[in-house]
Amino acid sequence: MKSTLLLALLSAAFVSCSKEAPTTEAKTKNTSPELQAVFVSSIPDEASPIHLARTTVQPGDLITLKGQIIGAAEPFVEGRAAFILGDREKLTPCNERPDDPCKTPWDTCCNTKEEFRVGTATIQVIGPDDRPLKEGLEGVEGLEKLSKILVKGRVAEQSGPGNLVINATAIQIVK
Amino acid sequence: MLPFSYAIRNLFRDKARLLQTVGGSALVVLLVMGALALNQGMKQVLAASGSPHNVILLGAGSEESVQRSEVAEQAAGIAASEIPGVSETMGSRAVSTEIHYMGLARFPNGDEAQALFRGITPTALLAHPEVQVIEGSYPRTGEVMVGRLAWRQMKLDADALAPGATLRLEDQDLKVSAIFAAPGTVMESEVWLPIGDLRVLAQRDTVSCVVLRLDDPDDFAEADLFAKRRLDLELSALRESDYYARLSSFFAPLRAMTWLTAGLIAAGALFGGLNTLYAAFASRIREMATLQAIGFGRGALLASLIQESTLASLTGALLASVVALLLLDGFVVPFSIGTFTIEISPSVALTGILTGLFLGLLGALPPAIRCLKPALPVALRSS
Repeated sequence: MKSTLLLALLSAAFVSCSKEAPTTEAKTKNTSPELQAVFVSSIPDEASPIHLARTTVQPGDLITLKGQIIGAAEPFVEGRAAFILGDREKLTPCNERPDDPCKTPWDTCCNTKEEFRVGTATIQVIGPDDRPLKEGLEGVEGLEKLSKILVKGRVAEQSGPGNLVINATAIQIVK
Repeated sequence: MLPFSYAIRNLFRDKARLLQTVGGSALVVLLVMGALALNQGMKQVLAASGSPHNVILLGAGSEESVQRSEVAEQAAGIAASEIPGVSETMGSRAVSTEIHYMGLARFPNGDEAQALFRGITPTALLAHPEVQVIEGSYPRTGEVMVGRLAWRQMKLDADALAPGATLRLEDQDLKVSAIFAAPGTVMESEVWLPIGDLRVLAQRDTVSCVVLRLDDPDDFAEADLFAKRRLDLELSALRESDYYARLSSFFAPLRAMTWLTAGLIAAGALFGGLNTLYAAFASRIREMATLQAIGFGRGALLASLIQESTLASLTGALLASVVALLLLDGFVVPFSIGTFTIEISPSVALTGILTGLFLGLLGALPPAIRCLKPALPVALRSS
């Protein structure tokens, strides 16, 4: 009787584990082909840091940026294919600062407003209607907070002197 | 089984002990009911204060406090024009630019009190449709409208904030033009005035937040997208309900303290009650032994003792319920960001009765077992 109970408990534990583990895989399965097509294994172009790129680009320009998903407490937009990309030369996640116990290192809360202003850009994946796809990007193909990535895309019309918005056509997660 | 009347008769054998048991049980039940009602009241008011339809645009990095937040004035206009799905009434979009300012209100009779002042525009009534002016008229320059519970929050007489009364903020006299209601929300404890007045009085050149009301709560993603696309405006979008849920978790230690305090006092009363029952049952060992000798089983005697104790504790629970209904129900409790009303709801009343029942059942078991444990010959010879 005892061994039966033990077996039942163990199998329940394994069942619950197997249900929760592959979060990323589950998200990727539900991802639209349009969004999946954006993820590539390599972007051969030379990538610029955000703070340099923003001073030269114009809406419509094709650029490649390098950065990390940092710069806000919630860098991903909930339910929309968009996120904030941070410049590693301007922003430092708290987990890379010695003795920093911050539980949300991606918010880079120790950086100044000026560093945020020059060191962040918005990356979005748009659909045929020119609006961001109505699906979240967090977890897709392993894209998470603190992921280091390369992004290739065109500077969006919504970009202005203070905000750089990129319509991504390719995203490479840097391992 | 022993007849029920035996248990009732025994209850009145020692009136002082009966009073002690009933009083102790009433105290424990009252404390449990009070702590539960207090917790429920605070949780409810914070939950009701945030609408899932509303989005607050705050200054990035100030998500914890609207009062600390700074948002550029033009953000409201840009948000209103760029975020789709904002509610619209007769051509006016439900976009409310607000300044939240904790200030010291002074009154002509010398009273002073901290109050939350909210600088608003008329569209605030579209973004917060639960707010209804119930007396007077919408404030003009030099006037304020006050929530109907603000006088309680500020510990004043109701007349001090009646229409026509004046209060002074930062050396400026302001006349109360209206009273508003916003049932079950913290807004009922606030003082609202035109944003232009508060901008001058609080010496601010930015606003605290922009509140937008969406037709569909799912359109929050559009507001979030706007905040993350307009990084130059340095905004953060939060659901109003999430903002108040965070505040609710901020007050969790306070609620835990009420339970701890109630628990400690209740434990004292419980042990006092147990002590009384031990003494009461210990003096009846020979009586119980005699009843066993004439044929009543130990189980029947245990049931009778539990009946006695449960009757006393349920009487206490009844007494506590009456006191709670008369004294606690409807009592308005001020806390740092507003007020809430204690309500003796059916769930609170049921918890009180179950506590009384639990006290009667479990409180009687150890002393009753001790009373019935000695062997019959020993028990019959006990003094």
